[in-house]
Amino acid sequence: MSEQSTTERARPEAIKAVPVRHPVRWVSIAVIAVLVAMFVHLLLTNDNFRWSYIFVSYEEGKRGVMFTGPVLEGLRGTILLTITSMAIGIGLGTVLAVMRLSPNRILSSVAFVYTWFFRAVPRLILAILFGNLNILWSRIGFGLPFDEQIGKLFGIDNFNGQFYSIRAVDLLAGFVAGMLALGLSEAAYMAEIVRAGLQSVDSGQSEAAVALGMSRFQVLRRIVLPQAMRVIVPPTGNETIAMVKDTSLVAFVPVAGELWFQLNNISARTFVVFPVLVAAVIWYLIICTILMIGQYYVERHYGKGYGASARAKQRLRNIQVEQGGKITTTGETP
Amino acid sequence: MTDTPEPDEIVEEPVAEAPEPEPEPEPEMVRADNVHKSFGSLEVLKGIDLVVKPGEVCCVLGPSGSGKSTFLRCINHLEKINAGRIFVDGDLVGYRERGGKLHELSEKDVARQRRSIGMVFQRFNLFPHMTVLDNVMEAPCRVKRESKSEVRERATALLDRVGLSSKIGNYPGQLSGGQQQRVAIARALAMRPKLMLFDEPTSALDPELVGEVLDVMKGLAQDGMTMIVVTHEIGFAREVGDNLIFMDGGVVVEQGAPRDVIGNPQHERTKAFLSKVL
Repeated sequence: MSEQSTTERARPEAIKAVPVRHPVRWVSIAVIAVLVAMFVHLLLTNDNFRWSYIFVSYEEGKRGVMFTGPVLEGLRGTILLTITSMAIGIGLGTVLAVMRLSPNRILSSVAFVYTWFFRAVPRLILAILFGNLNILWSRIGFGLPFDEQIGKLFGIDNFNGQFYSIRAVDLLAGFVAGMLALGLSEAAYMAEIVRAGLQSVDSGQSEAAVALGMSRFQVLRRIVLPQAMRVIVPPTGNETIAMVKDTSLVAFVPVAGELWFQLNNISARTFVVFPVLVAAVIWYLIICTILMIGQYYVERHYGKGYGASARAKQRLRNIQVEQGGKITTTGETP
Repeated sequence: MTDTPEPDEIVEEPVAEAPEPEPEPEPEMVRADNVHKSFGSLEVLKGIDLVVKPGEVCCVLGPSGSGKSTFLRCINHLEKINAGRIFVDGDLVGYRERGGKLHELSEKDVARQRRSIGMVFQRFNLFPHMTVLDNVMEAPCRVKRESKSEVRERATALLDRVGLSSKIGNYPGQLSGGQQQRVAIARALAMRPKLMLFDEPTSALDPELVGEVLDVMKGLAQDGMTMIVVTHEIGFAREVGDNLIFMDGGVVVEQGAPRDVIGNPQHERTKAFLSKVL
């Protein structure tokens, strides 16, 4: 066979060539090295950073500004706010995306108007607006609409059709207002992201699922959404990271249990500005780094069956099989 | 092109009843009466009549745009027909007739009808995020809510039957087109359908992979599965088909025993088509 003749031919010497030189690379490395050194020098030698103020103690008998009690409380609030508002955003956003793609005109236009409004209003204004919404009502509750007017129609003054109500200031202030403002505005963005994801799935997929007798909900839940996730997860990671930072906006609601509000408070009280800002930078960096790591794993999960790496592994295995079945890892031979 | 019972030389006639002297109502797996379908102003089906008996393999031939795929999709209500009736195993597809009035079936009822109709697509449409085994197990577990261990056993047997027992844990993206289509056939069979629809199952395959899929389909036909196959594989139609219909321009131009239609076409359009394909 021809195979044999090729194996019998002597293998030529492996190529050993002098690699191409890249002088520009070396120059840029040198420039970067100098810049990094300058930055480290700045961090270490400039006393205005006041590292001990940040890490060790900012006042007599108090921990550093990063680790002092109220700031840690604020950190907890920021994380909680991120989680809750993203939960609202993702949940409501998915519902809005499905509504938007519904053949029902009314549902799809409601979803459209919602996204139009919340994407068009700046988050900061939205946060302040929600903090002041309780101006509109003294009480919020469930009941008959137009109850007073209907009562007057029948000659009853002060007819109360409320089944359950609560003081607006108790409900719509601080944390809840901030959470709603961020969550509702996030839902508008998430709706667009989820919609793009759903539309990225080949229509043959839902057709095949429907042909097997699956219900529309099953098709969405089992077939379309998991595939859409591949498209949805990366921008959702972005949104989550952006949300961590946008939680600082609710300091204007105002929400006291929030990282930036607390840090700002200390800064105002002690008249120390720069180290406090640095402390904020460090905290936001830490949270976002953890989130980015999480995103990597979520992406890997939803990339199952697609990833170039999975396919490459399989190809490698196939090649090994062709080359005489030397399989060391899984021992799977066809 | 005659109404006499089928000639003797066709050996496999598993379930179809022996011809009887007096015409009793024969069981019919599929009956299409004067089916019309339009997309907007474009009329794709202009009155299709068809009867497929249990155990029969009906091949549908025709140039592209003749409406054959659309007709197939009407049978499991993936497309709504505009006029006429389609019955599968005696049940009106997609509607309920009560008091001389048609009522649309709810989504749930349509889904129930579809459970017993398997479909294989030109582009396989396997679920890429699930392994081969999960693809086959998904519908029996989720739709019929059968026990997992039982379904797993059946799915493994089916995958063995289509020659893919070694690929059980792989993802569809790691398989060749022919392998994917065989998984798709196994996936449809896992629901134990009484009717299988094939929509150009080999058209998206490399030529050397067509054979393996056709072999699986041949085996199915020999086991007595009722099949409607839209195809361009004339050889398959001649060898396996009990009945062949040739469609063009939304109507059935010619139908009969495959070797008659292929060997001795009566209509000009059939002749023209076959001369190009053969």
